[in-house]
Amino acid sequence: MAAKQGSSGQATGRAGSAWLHAARAGRRAVQQGILADQHERLAALTADRRTFHESMASIHRGTERRHLAAAQLHDARARRMSDWPQDRAAPPLGLAEVAETCETPSAALALIGADHRQLAVSSSDQLSRSALDLEYILGLGPATDAAKWICTVSASGPAVDGLWPGYGSELAALGALSVIAVPLTSEGICIGTLAVFDPPPDLAGSGILAWVADALTDGLQLGPDANPELYETADLRPVVNQAAGLLSERIPCPIGDALSLIRARAYAEATSPETIARRIVSGELKIN
Amino acid sequence: MSTPDMRLADAFVALAGTPDDSYDVARHLSVLTGHSVALLGVGAVGAVLRAGDQGAVRVSASDPRVTQLETGAVDRCEGPGHDCCRTGALPETVLDTAPAHQRWPHYTPRALALGYTRVAALPLTVREETVGALVLLHSRSTPLTPVELALGRSLATAAATALVRERELTRSRVLTSQLELALTSRIVIEQAKGVLANRMTLSMDQAFDVLRSHARSHRVKLADVALDVVEGRLNIADPHAA
Repeated sequence: MAAKQGSSGQATGRAGSAWLHAARAGRRAVQQGILADQHERLAALTADRRTFHESMASIHRGTERRHLAAAQLHDARARRMSDWPQDRAAPPLGLAEVAETCETPSAALALIGADHRQLAVSSSDQLSRSALDLEYILGLGPATDAAKWICTVSASGPAVDGLWPGYGSELAALGALSVIAVPLTSEGICIGTLAVFDPPPDLAGSGILAWVADALTDGLQLGPDANPELYETADLRPVVNQAAGLLSERIPCPIGDALSLIRARAYAEATSPETIARRIVSGELKIN
Repeated sequence: MSTPDMRLADAFVALAGTPDDSYDVARHLSVLTGHSVALLGVGAVGAVLRAGDQGAVRVSASDPRVTQLETGAVDRCEGPGHDCCRTGALPETVLDTAPAHQRWPHYTPRALALGYTRVAALPLTVREETVGALVLLHSRSTPLTPVELALGRSLATAAATALVRERELTRSRVLTSQLELALTSRIVIEQAKGVLANRMTLSMDQAFDVLRSHARSHRVKLADVALDVVEGRLNIADPHAA
């Protein structure tokens, strides 16, 4: 009973906190909108500094959209927490809110290292999680390219497999036919990627995905929109890394090689790296 | 031989700079003051820059004596640079007057002693944020022309834009590396648990206890111990073996 009350209280607290975040982000969006309006008015009135005011208006408008996207994410989170059953522990802020904001069924976040490899992942559902696993195993895919080239990457139908051999057919087997991936960048540095699967046709040109990516970047970094839950709850694949440590000692080999062995085995058995890792850790699977 | 247009273009290219690992604020301020003297035809130029949130201020000038003058003004919270940072552009002021002596009792006599009779200050502003001031000193009989002041404002804006851009880039690099470090530290700890679990035939929880005990007893960060284990630099003895 105590556990139930704790969960409910946690969910209610999280809803309140999310409303607060949403309200703050909304206020910041309004402030930026007012500044953009002022510069747009001045641009129309003053001929000599028109370029300057137009440029300032554009900067404030972009920041306004970024804050609006953050407000939408927290708003979705708050609504989800308000309706959350009392007897279930509240889930962390996740990609479900991102998917809802982007009006897409499935969304995946990958935080990456300097080598563009996944460090930690979050997903809205099983399909997006499997797609993340696929990129982790193959070392290629839309999110990997979005991070490498720091640009939006999209493909659908047969073009997916044409761009990333092996990835497209597996993605289709999972039930997704199209994908868009955008980088999460801060001052030109890519810290992660957001991928959406089977997005609505008008999403690519709407700008929403980029604004949500910006809002997620703000949430991941220390700033007024920081949301520690986002990175604290991201999955670092602990069991895969434990298994890699174990293999590297047993074989012996460098950790990187051990991780490659796990990925190769997962590919060969058409299963997740976690499944292989669990079997290694339990002693059921011996790789030498 | 360079034309005035070419010199102007050179100045803006130099001020735009290439914010990268070798970027140096002192050098940037020196470029700003040097080009400002040459293009505006004034006697000397000083730059006062607020260096961050802690109230620290950096000063640079085209002449070391003016650097001293502006540094003294910053220390006493007076002078055209200080006032400009607080209130925006400062109209040109004739120094050898009672109001100037009254307003800046420390600054005015020293500027006059250096031979400067007039001073103006332009804010270093980006996106409505004033990050510093450009102080223009001269001893001409006439004030700076509107064209010269407009050019000064453009130089100040170009310099401030590059400075703020570099500041944002540095902040972003720090935040990004903090995030990556936080994630990789947690990953390496998991890998070290695997190494020790295999080496000492322990469960993952027991392996973590061994790591944590070692870190505590040696007053080292857990992530550092884990990295040493993973990279083979540390062979932790099994505390249960004895």
